[in-house]
Amino acid sequence: MTSAVPPEGEAATPLLARFSPRTQRVLLSYVILLAIYVCCVAVSRDFLTWSTMRLQLVQATFIGLITIGETFAILIGQIDLSVPWTITLSAVLGTNLSALYGHQWVAFAVVILIGGAVGLLNTLGVYVLRVHSLIWTLSVNLLLQGVALIYTNAVAPTTHIPALARFLALGSVSGVPMAFVVWAFFSALTILALTRFRFGRYIYAIGNRQTTALLSGVPLGRVHALVFVLSGLGAAFVGLMLSGYSSQAYLGMGNDYLLPPIAAVVIGGTRLSGGDGGYFGSIAGALTVVFLQAMLITLNVSEGSRQVVFGAILLSLAFLFLKRGR
Amino acid sequence: MNKSRRVLDKHAGSLSCALGLVVIIGLYALRQPLILSPFGIASLANVSVALALAAVGQTAVLLVAGLDLSIGAEITLVNCFAATTMSAGAFGIAWVVAASLLIGLAMGFLNGVVVAYGRVEPLIATFCTSFIFAGAALIILPRPGGSIPDGFAGALTGSWGPLPFSLVLLAGVVALVWLPVFTSRLGRYIVAVGDDASSARLSGLPLQRVELASYMLAGFFAAVAALFLAAETTSGDPSIGGIYTLNSLAAAVLGGVALTGGRGTVLGPILGSFVLSIILNALGVFNVSAFWQDFIEGLVLMVVLGLGGLRVLRADSWLALLRQ
Repeated sequence: MTSAVPPEGEAATPLLARFSPRTQRVLLSYVILLAIYVCCVAVSRDFLTWSTMRLQLVQATFIGLITIGETFAILIGQIDLSVPWTITLSAVLGTNLSALYGHQWVAFAVVILIGGAVGLLNTLGVYVLRVHSLIWTLSVNLLLQGVALIYTNAVAPTTHIPALARFLALGSVSGVPMAFVVWAFFSALTILALTRFRFGRYIYAIGNRQTTALLSGVPLGRVHALVFVLSGLGAAFVGLMLSGYSSQAYLGMGNDYLLPPIAAVVIGGTRLSGGDGGYFGSIAGALTVVFLQAMLITLNVSEGSRQVVFGAILLSLAFLFLKRGR
Repeated sequence: MNKSRRVLDKHAGSLSCALGLVVIIGLYALRQPLILSPFGIASLANVSVALALAAVGQTAVLLVAGLDLSIGAEITLVNCFAATTMSAGAFGIAWVVAASLLIGLAMGFLNGVVVAYGRVEPLIATFCTSFIFAGAALIILPRPGGSIPDGFAGALTGSWGPLPFSLVLLAGVVALVWLPVFTSRLGRYIVAVGDDASSARLSGLPLQRVELASYMLAGFFAAVAALFLAAETTSGDPSIGGIYTLNSLAAAVLGGVALTGGRGTVLGPILGSFVLSIILNALGVFNVSAFWQDFIEGLVLMVVLGLGGLRVLRADSWLALLRQ
């Protein structure tokens, strides 16, 4: 009978310690999400209604889709900061060219072209020339801003938005926002890719130790290119959805999408040093960031105070939960 | 490796920047000979010194293998503070200058505490604080405005014969702050920690205090840059600092500072800043439309960063490269 009683030390093991560190961090990110949501409800009861939640889900989709590429990039130890003007350029060019050629599929061709081109440009600098991704992708962002400025200087922006972009951002499928369906589909694909596909194993291998990955025969160049192209495609696609969402494409529309996706990845428990984390946590991160922004908007404070509070809350989240190793 | 080769390696960034600077000023002078007049030299120096100060601050953090993405926001906050509080008269100027430098040190202190004691990644920590600083600037000054007394503006942007005061300011701050720090034990500690943090810790260096000090140095230099910008524009602008984050990083990298820490000089980033600023300033002289400015700025940055990456082609194999 005594043998059935577990030894004292084992019985004292706290519940949390039975999970791996990575699972703990993912759990933590959902706890943070819950806490922020409770704060939102405390600020305004509107967050209990479906119409408000629907709006937040659509917003979270935009950040969530960008977060896919950003998670990949951070997992291999890089970062992609060329997102804001990839969004703007793809929205401006996509809507204008599809209005010009009178076919909405032109917009999708533009998305693929811009996403692919930006991704390859980032790969050129980060992988081939080995410039630090932080500074290279910021420079690419500046270059894209320049291209957008030159283009809009020559061509007036159109208000003719492809119907499909509008449907993706605003439509519903039996009550569920279409945007959310898109996000759910790509989320599932991303988690599958990271956990089941060879691509995922390569990503973790590179993030953990690049030399070892190289010696083990991981095609470093192809994985880097794929990661940056996926990140560019995600941002370009979000640009098209955003133009459908706001029924226009304008300069600077992507400017609010530089920090939130990175914050989402970090809150989601992925380490910035690479090799450790995943997309499941990033989903909670994306929702957390969106709720946080919505809460601050509901509080109706000035733009300056909003930025201060946003920064302070993110900082305290990072301070409490995301300490780097020694 | 013999000594002269080592010295050459250390100053490769500065040398290439100096060479670039000579070429750029030469081309500029062919188009606009007035640039070599005292007035021209002063105007070139004035457009470059703010970035040079920011880049020196960034270098202090890069040397300890950190990163300060809040440097632009630090500049913005101090700039807005100075433009809303400074009044004419020696006392009105002096207390604002002192308070501005203290604010800079305080912002650096916050960054340093979060990074060194809070153990938060520098990238995310300074990204977050940049929101706090930029938000605070917006609270102080929601839209461009404020004013700077002429006496203060003249004292920083004028020139004495062919010698612009802005260069004197830059040289003075570097000589009075940077050189004493980096010839002292603290400076050697900063480089040691940036080179290899775990060895430095095993050798008993006060890792956290060293990191804290480097972020405070960055904050201090950002504050000086902000005061200079205030003098140059004679007003405050809550969006003035934005470009300095990327450009200070780029100038430091141009000047041969390693983003991985422990390697770099102070001269390199200063020369790098002059190269970047003068290229951008020269666009107007070469009749480049303002709409092309961002495109060319991005392109210049990428080309310059890419040139630095060409050493990749000299490496024997990928393995040798990854091990560097």
